[in-house]
Amino acid sequence: MKRAVYVILAALILVFAGMLVFRALSSSLVYFILPNEYAQDPLQYDGRRIRLGGIVETGSVAFDNDDLRLTFQVTDSLQTYPVRHGGTPPELFQENTGVVVEGRFEDGVFVSDNLLVKHSEVYQAPKPGEAVDIEALKDSLQ
Amino acid sequence: MIGVGGGISLATLGGACVFLALALALYALITGVAGALRRDARLQTSARMAAVAVFLALTAAVFVMEVALLNDDFSVSYVAEHSRIASPVWVKVVTLWAALEGSILLWGWLLSGYTAALAVTAPNTVLRPWALVVMQGVQIFFLGVTAIAASPFRLLVNPPLDGPGPNPLLQNHWMMAVHPVLMYLGFVGLTVPFAYAMAALITRQPGVTWMTQTRRWTLTGWGFLSAAIIAGGWWSYEVLGWGGFWAWDPVENVSFLPWLTATAFIHSVQVQERRRMLKGWNLLLVALTFSLTILGTFLTRSGIVSSVHAFGDGPVGPLFLGFFVLVVLFSFGLIALRWDQVRDRAELDDPVSREGAFLLGNIFFLAIAFAVLLGTIFPLIVEAITGDKVTVGAPFFDQVSVPIWMAIFLLMGIGPLLPWRKAEGHSLRRNLSWMGLVALLAGLTAFLLGMRLIYPLITVALAGWNLVSVALLLHGALAPRIRLANRSAVSVFRQYAFESRRRFGSMIVHLGVVVIALGVMAASGYRVDQQMRFDFGEPVEFRGYTLTAIEPFEDRTPGRLTSGAIVEVARDGRDITTLRPRINIFGGNQQSAPTPDVLYTPWHDLYLSLAGDVSEDQNFVVLRVVQSPLVIWIWLGGLILAFGTVWSLLPQTKRAERPATNDATVRI
Repeated sequence: MKRAVYVILAALILVFAGMLVFRALSSSLVYFILPNEYAQDPLQYDGRRIRLGGIVETGSVAFDNDDLRLTFQVTDSLQTYPVRHGGTPPELFQENTGVVVEGRFEDGVFVSDNLLVKHSEVYQAPKPGEAVDIEALKDSLQ
Repeated sequence: MIGVGGGISLATLGGACVFLALALALYALITGVAGALRRDARLQTSARMAAVAVFLALTAAVFVMEVALLNDDFSVSYVAEHSRIASPVWVKVVTLWAALEGSILLWGWLLSGYTAALAVTAPNTVLRPWALVVMQGVQIFFLGVTAIAASPFRLLVNPPLDGPGPNPLLQNHWMMAVHPVLMYLGFVGLTVPFAYAMAALITRQPGVTWMTQTRRWTLTGWGFLSAAIIAGGWWSYEVLGWGGFWAWDPVENVSFLPWLTATAFIHSVQVQERRRMLKGWNLLLVALTFSLTILGTFLTRSGIVSSVHAFGDGPVGPLFLGFFVLVVLFSFGLIALRWDQVRDRAELDDPVSREGAFLLGNIFFLAIAFAVLLGTIFPLIVEAITGDKVTVGAPFFDQVSVPIWMAIFLLMGIGPLLPWRKAEGHSLRRNLSWMGLVALLAGLTAFLLGMRLIYPLITVALAGWNLVSVALLLHGALAPRIRLANRSAVSVFRQYAFESRRRFGSMIVHLGVVVIALGVMAASGYRVDQQMRFDFGEPVEFRGYTLTAIEPFEDRTPGRLTSGAIVEVARDGRDITTLRPRINIFGGNQQSAPTPDVLYTPWHDLYLSLAGDVSEDQNFVVLRVVQSPLVIWIWLGGLILAFGTVWSLLPQTKRAERPATNDATVRI
């Protein structure tokens, strides 16, 4: 009898804990995607925190010294989105380099609070006219 | 280059030492098994002596590596890959554990030291030969990895003239000399109770002997692991430049997992000692703890979960995975095989009792461990199933673990006050109402002082709750003695503190936990973090401080280039200090390490870290300015906790009332 009570109690605690865990997990999963993956299904990532990977488009970088705001375009050569990063460009940040930004989309602009520069020796930027290898790009940024 | 020992290269010499140690460990394992099976004292002694010899051989190997590092002998592969001529001497010494191969050598060496100490000092029981055999089994794995898969002693025929040096983040702070060693001492220390538990199962003696004989080892390992985790937090705070101390990074998580299960273990052990319950549970916990140390090493060293301090991938990952599977199959298989002997026949008399509280606390610790493990490996599961690449953000870990921590703090105040078996209602109610009253007052005061976040408020309340609990415990222990002995309170207190070290030590540790909890809550809940632009010479106001960036500076020492900004800090019109947030660039690999500068005060820290470049042609600098309250409490709480652990480990002074139980236990 006593044992049964403990078992039921333990089961209840477990179910409750499981629910707590899965709710927390699903709300704090941060997907790592490329611009074209976002373009395919923007609603899925609506208001969610994501990590967006891509290449900094040449000629798109601007830094506002007074507001400490960095803007640039991130691209995977299929799709391009503007990024607004609150903060200074990290060291080694430059055009045509791989980056991962963390944040969320707001009105078509990706607002980032974390910017990581990814130097990959594996990924080779495609020559003009050549098709981009999306999988290789994604792996090199991960 | 420098041939010590007349022509024999250090690489060959070091490699030979490792192979010798491996051979000796194999010998110790085989003779140990034979000696234990045949109950042959001579074979057993031989195995013990071999354990000491393994330690000596590995000491020689570590010595050879240090000689190679200090002499810049780049014909030794590890030195060529991870050291550098221009590094200062202390960096060269600690480079031993700055990368994978050296870390495993260090781990093996510390393990051999523990095994040798055990072989020499452990009391002669039926458990000892088998415990040593298990230790040697683990030892052989580490030595095998060092000798074959990840040898630091490969001979380079064409040695480079200089190496890249260790990871800049590691050579940037002296804590690097301390934190990893503490961590390995913790992991290795927790191998001892595992070995004894397995010995108890093999010899069909799953009583309390294996625990009482390893009590000091377990506590030592736990103490080192606690210290290592807190030291790691401080390193992160001082080096990583984001003003935080815990990021739920996989490497941090995997060091935290065995700590959680070990903490559960040191509590549930007492239930078995007193009440002869939880036999199987304790065995499961100790096996789980050891398995988690191996799993953690696999997860972080194999590169399958990305982490800021991963050493990168290599052949070692699969080996650790294989060893993990082996350990799990062996230990849990053995427990299953002996389940008939180890399962509990006694039942809980009453959940409102010390053992009930300890059991519930155990469940909470395991729940946190499960959640942290799930969050750490969840990205792997998702990628395996859907192919999506995800990370689990810090909010998950906070959301799940913080409420459980609150429950643990609540129990921490109640558990030690409850008697074993069954609590008597009246005194319990009186105690609880005192604790509840003070908790309420503490929470209310915090609220009136402007605190509005729920968890920090609860933490303050529970801090009051726990302080009263400790006071009641002390009162309960001391008051009768003062009355009986008719002596001064101070002398009775002294006598109690020295005679009941274990009990008193646990109070100090719990006090340390309260201090840490307050620090963590305040620093995470009330942190102010801003990026600010400072024009040189222009004062900027920040939360009561006046910060003036004076000028940029540059500093060159051999092998290191430092650039940063000199910032004067004033408060209420008075100059307080000058901070120098900077970036260090170490010549060898051109990687930079941010070096924040911190003004430590008892109530909050002011933390400045460079964000972006400082250069001569720029008349401003951008700084990350962080003010976080009570951070220093975390480190002080850590010291209190360490002190409490040491206190309860020290041998008890004379004890008149009752005979010392199992004080034949080993000591290092």
